[in-house]
Amino acid sequence: MGLAYHFDWGVLWRQPYGIWLLKGVWLTVQLGLLSWLIALFLGIFIGTIRISRWRWLRVLGTTYVEIFRNIPFIVQLFFWYFAGPMLFGKTLQFHINAIMGLNYYVAIVGLGLYTASRVAEHIRAGFASIARDQYQAALSTGLTEIQMYRYVIIPYALRIVIPPLTTEFLTIFKNSSIAMTIGVAETTFMSYKIDSDTFHGLEATTGAMVIYLILGLSVVKLMGILESRFRIAGLMGRK
Amino acid sequence: MFDAVIRNLPFLMGGFWVTVKLTAFALLGGIPLGILVGLGRISKKRWVYYPVTFYVNLIRNIPLILVIFWFYFVMPILVGRPMDPFPSAVISFIIFEATYFGEILRAGYQSVSKGQIEAGYSTGLSYIQTTRHILIPIAFRRMLPSMITQSIVTYQDTSLAFVIGLPEFVRRTAIVDNLEVRSIQLFGFVAIMFLITCYISSVVSRRFEVKREGGY
Amino acid sequence: MIEIRNLSKWYGNFQVLHNINEEIKQGQTVVVCGPSGSGKSTLLRCINGLEPFQEGEVTVDGVSVSDPGTNLYKLRTEIGMVFQRFELYPHMTALQNIILAPMKVRNKSKKEAEAKAMELLHRVGIPEKAHAYPANLSGGQQQRVAIARSLAMGPKIMMFDEPTSALDPEMIKEVLDVMIDLSKGGMTMIVVTHEMGFAREVADEVIFMDEGRIIERGTDISFFKNPKNPRTKEFLDKILL
Repeated sequence: MGLAYHFDWGVLWRQPYGIWLLKGVWLTVQLGLLSWLIALFLGIFIGTIRISRWRWLRVLGTTYVEIFRNIPFIVQLFFWYFAGPMLFGKTLQFHINAIMGLNYYVAIVGLGLYTASRVAEHIRAGFASIARDQYQAALSTGLTEIQMYRYVIIPYALRIVIPPLTTEFLTIFKNSSIAMTIGVAETTFMSYKIDSDTFHGLEATTGAMVIYLILGLSVVKLMGILESRFRIAGLMGRK
Repeated sequence: MFDAVIRNLPFLMGGFWVTVKLTAFALLGGIPLGILVGLGRISKKRWVYYPVTFYVNLIRNIPLILVIFWFYFVMPILVGRPMDPFPSAVISFIIFEATYFGEILRAGYQSVSKGQIEAGYSTGLSYIQTTRHILIPIAFRRMLPSMITQSIVTYQDTSLAFVIGLPEFVRRTAIVDNLEVRSIQLFGFVAIMFLITCYISSVVSRRFEVKREGGY
Repeated sequence: MIEIRNLSKWYGNFQVLHNINEEIKQGQTVVVCGPSGSGKSTLLRCINGLEPFQEGEVTVDGVSVSDPGTNLYKLRTEIGMVFQRFELYPHMTALQNIILAPMKVRNKSKKEAEAKAMELLHRVGIPEKAHAYPANLSGGQQQRVAIARSLAMGPKIMMFDEPTSALDPEMIKEVLDVMIDLSKGGMTMIVVTHEMGFAREVADEVIFMDEGRIIERGTDISFFKNPKNPRTKEFLDKILL
């Protein structure tokens, strides 16, 4: 076939490219973990208020989810990064834009806010899938509402919710790559940068693919351990 | 208040049109490919099942941006000359989204009762005929809500073609923003456009969930 | 017409059919009954090649089912099968359900296929439902459409796998009437059913199966009055009122 292209896999470990990639991976990990923390807390909160007794809380939760779900993440990111500082008025705006590594913080918060909406959906679906009869059965045996939630509902809901949450955790690492569009020097950004330097983008991006695969497998492994821990420690009946 | 938007409306809407075109091509290629991928995933023939499963698991684990870049780098090598971003983006999306449609349809195929397939075979229909006239139509109709949701996701994903310089909606907004620096208006506009179009689509899809002919 | 010799089948380590031997002549109606799990449905599916089997031989009209050279698709056009849960294609009307195979397998034109289909719908008693979707048909109507669908290919043999088990009692008769009609018309039939009234009326032979074996067989009258095997008697006692 005669491809007029000479493969150069060395770009993956030759200095300085190897270091670039490693730095990028480190940033990807940071982005993923930190925004996941935000997403979990915020998401669980919003998911829970969506099934609350008060209508205005439910509406609030649903509005949040609909807004953050329907706008592509890249648009959200651009909005927060370019337009965000402007929301604070002329003077603060300049100070904010002068912050070093602003894009890093914006990326983490933005990714957290976006993913929170997805987590909220999973949480809500998890609660909803528990039949009302379960609640009634628990209450009819004399448990208080708090006991019911603690010993019956929440352990049950967690089991249902862990698989989709694992998927979201994986997705957050994939979405972290979008931060490259606002200049965050994570893995994908670095593979592109290697290409600008060496014109061997194919090897660089293939290397990045392998990195994400390894990352993904580690996450799945980790969540698997977590899942089995939950089963063994058993929130039910241990205390 | 939205003066920057109004001033540049033709340019911006041109980008929206590119986004729509990209989505259309991605779906036109991705859904048929997804139908095949789903079939491959339930195939009993190992030489079909393993490669397809490998492909699906590979793609679903890597970010879309990377897939876009990868094809952007690969295509010129295969084709022998530099390539326009639009075709490269289309191919990336087709290959990428097909895995997601494939998994949705796989669940659909698995939900079709064995009896119906047996009924098809017992009247003498071949594998291809049974698959084409019975398995696929039933599964497709059943999974229609999920398919629509995934199509909306595809529509949102097209904004990532930004990174290879495709002049779609988001990139054009960024270009205008560079000039005008009315970021709130401009990105707000893009955000609202997506919000409205996606929200309407999801409402339509919910209608499909309720109103289905013949109870599948 | 159908010859079964030493048929044995395993699912993994579990043997579902033990050394089945049977001969069914053309025009005969054979009823198969027995408790669930006795292998009746599996036996039917071995005859038209929907299920493979490990030992033995099944010959239909001279053609061996397990022979790798046999064209199973062609064989199936000669054997019609009616299922317990009707299994009509939900996305097609009754008429469309019936004409699919004739058009795709025998390459009949739409007009031809539809004409034949309407004829069959008349025969099973519901021509007015031609354009209805399965969801708008009662169970009894669906099953009759299913019978018409199988007849559309002009099979020489018809197999019924518990055709009335999923029906509400008041609809059983309408389906059995169609089946009795078919049997009296000379069709070769194998029917897995518990409807002993049907067996009494048209069966040339009744076979009782249990745990994958044929325990007893008889021509109807002797069968019901004096079952030889205690298990048969036990079963008949349970299902005959």
